[in-house]
Amino acid sequence: MDRAIHRTIIIKNHLLQPNSDQILTTNACLSYSPPELNEVYDFDLKEMRKLLDGHNLQEQDWLFNLMVQSKLFNPRKRGEKVYVAPDYNQTMEQQREMTMKRISYLLERGVFEGWLTAKGAEAELRKLALLEVTGIFDHSLAIKIGVHFFLWGGAIQFFGTQRHHEKWLRDTENYVVLGCFAMTELGHGSNVRGIETVTTYDANTGEFIINTPCESAQKYWIGGAANHATHTIVFSQLEINGKNQGVHAFICQIRDAAGNICPNIRIADCGHKIGLNGVDNGRIWFDNVRIPRENLLNSVADVSPDGQYLSSIKDPDQRFAAFMAPLTSGRVIIAGSSVYKAKIGLAIAIRYSLSRRAFSITPNGPEVLLLDYPSHQRRLLPLLAKSYAASCAANYLKMMYVNRTPQSNKTIHVVSSAFKAILTWHNMRTLQECREACGGQGLKTENRVGHLKGEFDVQLTFEGDNNVLMQQVSKALLAEYLAAQKRNRPLQGLGLEHMNKPCPVIPSQLTSSILRTTQFQMDAFCLRERDLLSRFVMKVSQHQAEGQSKDYALMLSYQLAEDLGRAFSDRAMLQTFIDTEATISSGSLKNVLGLLRSLYALTCLEEDAAFLRYGYLSTDNASAVRNEVQKLCSEIRPHALALVSSFGIPDAFLGPIAFDWIDANAWSSVQ
Amino acid sequence: MASAQSQEDQVLEEETSFVRILTLNRPRQLNALSAQMISRLLELFQRYETDSNVKLLILKGKGRAFCAGGDVAAVVRGINEGDWISGAKFFSKEFILNYLMATYTKPQVSILNGIVMGGGAGVSIHGRFRVATENSVCNTALFLVIKVFAMPETALGLFPDIGASYFLSRLPGFFGEYVGLTGARLDGAEMRACGLATHFVPSSRLALLEEALYKVNSSDPAVISAVIDKFSLEPYLKDHSAYHWMDVIDKCFSRRTVEEILSALESESTNRADAWISDAIQSLKKASPTSLKISLRSIREGRLQGVGQCLIREYRMVCHVMMGEVSKDFFEVCNPFKCAHGCRAILLDKDKNPKWKPSKLELVNDNMVDQYFSKINDDRWEDIKLPARSNLPATAIAKL
Repeated sequence: MDRAIHRTIIIKNHLLQPNSDQILTTNACLSYSPPELNEVYDFDLKEMRKLLDGHNLQEQDWLFNLMVQSKLFNPRKRGEKVYVAPDYNQTMEQQREMTMKRISYLLERGVFEGWLTAKGAEAELRKLALLEVTGIFDHSLAIKIGVHFFLWGGAIQFFGTQRHHEKWLRDTENYVVLGCFAMTELGHGSNVRGIETVTTYDANTGEFIINTPCESAQKYWIGGAANHATHTIVFSQLEINGKNQGVHAFICQIRDAAGNICPNIRIADCGHKIGLNGVDNGRIWFDNVRIPRENLLNSVADVSPDGQYLSSIKDPDQRFAAFMAPLTSGRVIIAGSSVYKAKIGLAIAIRYSLSRRAFSITPNGPEVLLLDYPSHQRRLLPLLAKSYAASCAANYLKMMYVNRTPQSNKTIHVVSSAFKAILTWHNMRTLQECREACGGQGLKTENRVGHLKGEFDVQLTFEGDNNVLMQQVSKALLAEYLAAQKRNRPLQGLGLEHMNKPCPVIPSQLTSSILRTTQFQMDAFCLRERDLLSRFVMKVSQHQAEGQSKDYALMLSYQLAEDLGRAFSDRAMLQTFIDTEATISSGSLKNVLGLLRSLYALTCLEEDAAFLRYGYLSTDNASAVRNEVQKLCSEIRPHALALVSSFGIPDAFLGPIAFDWIDANAWSSVQ
Repeated sequence: MASAQSQEDQVLEEETSFVRILTLNRPRQLNALSAQMISRLLELFQRYETDSNVKLLILKGKGRAFCAGGDVAAVVRGINEGDWISGAKFFSKEFILNYLMATYTKPQVSILNGIVMGGGAGVSIHGRFRVATENSVCNTALFLVIKVFAMPETALGLFPDIGASYFLSRLPGFFGEYVGLTGARLDGAEMRACGLATHFVPSSRLALLEEALYKVNSSDPAVISAVIDKFSLEPYLKDHSAYHWMDVIDKCFSRRTVEEILSALESESTNRADAWISDAIQSLKKASPTSLKISLRSIREGRLQGVGQCLIREYRMVCHVMMGEVSKDFFEVCNPFKCAHGCRAILLDKDKNPKWKPSKLELVNDNMVDQYFSKINDDRWEDIKLPARSNLPATAIAKL
């Protein structure tokens, strides 16, 4: 009975409420306060963006404009703002079709003009800048474009000769042909030399015959193969007169212009993936496919019409290395693009943390802004600092790549391997942290951060598994070291010159001001690198002295190899940061960069166990470093918004939680 | 002089219980915004915002114009006397008014029954509701000076200011670039189609609409929209309206540079003989090359920015224009005023076209364009200080 009366009263109140407006407009509700109202910009954001993006800013903005203004880029209104991002809820097939439609749209607007036909560093930088922007929208779009231009197109540029250039480059640029790049197989990924596809030559017809001899030799993960590509580069062992001449690259048509699969080619889909579903990765089998002799990409080696093998490079190892050259461009691109993804994550998570509050620390007091928690600062701000370092590193790598010379090839190979691994790991770690920092909102696809993890995970292993790359870096350093020792010359190149100098000494008392000097930071990084390199050399020679082969000795020394790879990469990255900082004249911009550089360097010291393990830092040193990291976080906190705004990523490419998330989730925007 | 008219008379104020009606009242000058009018509007808008009795604002113009822009006679006079700082002050106030309207907490209904040029668009488009009629003629791209002083049709615009880089860049596709660069005039139906107007009401029903609006006692946009809807209709878009060729506009005006836009238009014009294309090509060819390049850059940057940031950038640009350090083209346009005051005659070539300097698109390089976007090296100058707004809508936030 009481219950009935209670219900009646409630209903009566509902009916007789004099002005229902009053209930709805209570002050107790949270309201969104844009971080811009409370935060200050202490430096010129445009200048900072110039520093981070480095080049072709206007072209980048033009491409952002192109995407924002087209329905093809799936604009969605959330609250008062419009966001663009692919509809990941579409089926794999629909996503793939959308990727192609977007490419046609960009093609029609002249985005790809000169991507293969223009020469010079300027044209290459433009191409890289535009590709990065496509990746900010969607990884599938960037990969699909990247495979066509950098792998297929790049292979023709690098391995082909004039006849190939004339025949294919312009048609590729205009998408008359759609290329893919069939290198990896089910049985062989990073170890390209082990692939099992075999090509022989038939002197009677002047044709090569490509064959997939067994199931493990099927080409696997070939981007573009499943639906769209008309042509592919095929990597295959070349057998001439029964002798294996090693891996070579051929051009083979796999579909006609109408999209029908060519005779003796079988193609299957790689299926649904954890990300990149807008790319049609496929599998290819070649059933004694015949191609004209001219389709051998013959810059390194050729076969004469009568079937003689001709090569200017006699050493098969060097020949193979020449074939791997285009993969460098892949690593340069991946390193660069991964920095942008970390930036998206940080821009979203930090903007959210500047507008979202949780828990009050005083009775009835206001809840505390997430980024005002020192713990939240410690989670996000070191990643922000490292992303700044990573931008400097990526720009350095890009510049070195576009200005490459035959002499710089080895350095590019080592540095691109190191940075690709370090930057992609940094990206994934950043996205994971940002996802958690956004709480439940990080789970929503429209908020991007969480979804990007799946999209970009592949970066850790494609174009060289990160762990393998790091081992290659250490191996290259070992070779440098041994060569210098053998010739009794000082070390030169790869930034190893510091090893010729006396060993740096770390002061026993580390004050705040010492910790923030480039001198101390560089000393600590160099100390770690030189010590790890000599330990690595010793360990390997010790294993060899015990009778192990060199390769086995390297394998057994993997722990030091990993530490050393990281030490080299961190030091090289710090150097690029210091060099970038030096280009800025003193002022607020330089001060902020100094804080970021210190936070980056000290976080490395704090996080890499090698510093304590091998005693480069005392335990007292280590706790001084830890305290300083916290202090630096609190000093960077006031610049957080300005630092993520300087990324120059337009609002439409971030997610609703980066802005008015209350408005975006209001009932009115449901309707 | 007309400006002797008192502030109060230049903006007429009427009120009902919850609605304020402001009428721009300089019909002989086509309601061009004088400094006094801007001050008055600022004062009124600020007052109404805190007055809980005010729920809705209506802005209209007396006579055949809504508003033909800002009256920069004083500005031009100042520049001629070497004093561009007073001009800067004029624009600063005008832009602050634009910003206030763009971030206003209460709905503003502008009744655009007539000419809407430059600054006139600035005091209406940023508001919540814009009612076009069959009498609307809109030219957002151009500086007032030209129209007010009845320059020839060619109307060789300066660049879209008053926050136009914000709203033009948000029109469908690349229509904003088309309007901004060619200075194309839009009628009421076109304004409604592209979204510059939120409603189209035949002028014969305006009296009824206003009567209905006077009775409104709510600030809820849905309520007000419903009231205007009752008098609205979907206007007939004229057959030769460029809006029918959005695909061609998108294709051409999405190109990266003015040169590429022009050549895309020219190659389109070989396939089709539509009047709007040849008009567009003519306009681009007659316009100041410097003006075209900075306009395009401004719209492209504006698309990625909040309205506040757009106004800050445009303010820098307008100050550079007044200083005339890179190109003096803008003064050539202003010259009819000078003539009226016995100054030197406008420079026209034999086809009666102004002589631009630099004279060709390719002579305007990126560095020259960059200059218009930089801060000004003058101790007396600083970036425009937009007032802090408590209730900043997401769209208004300045980012980069």
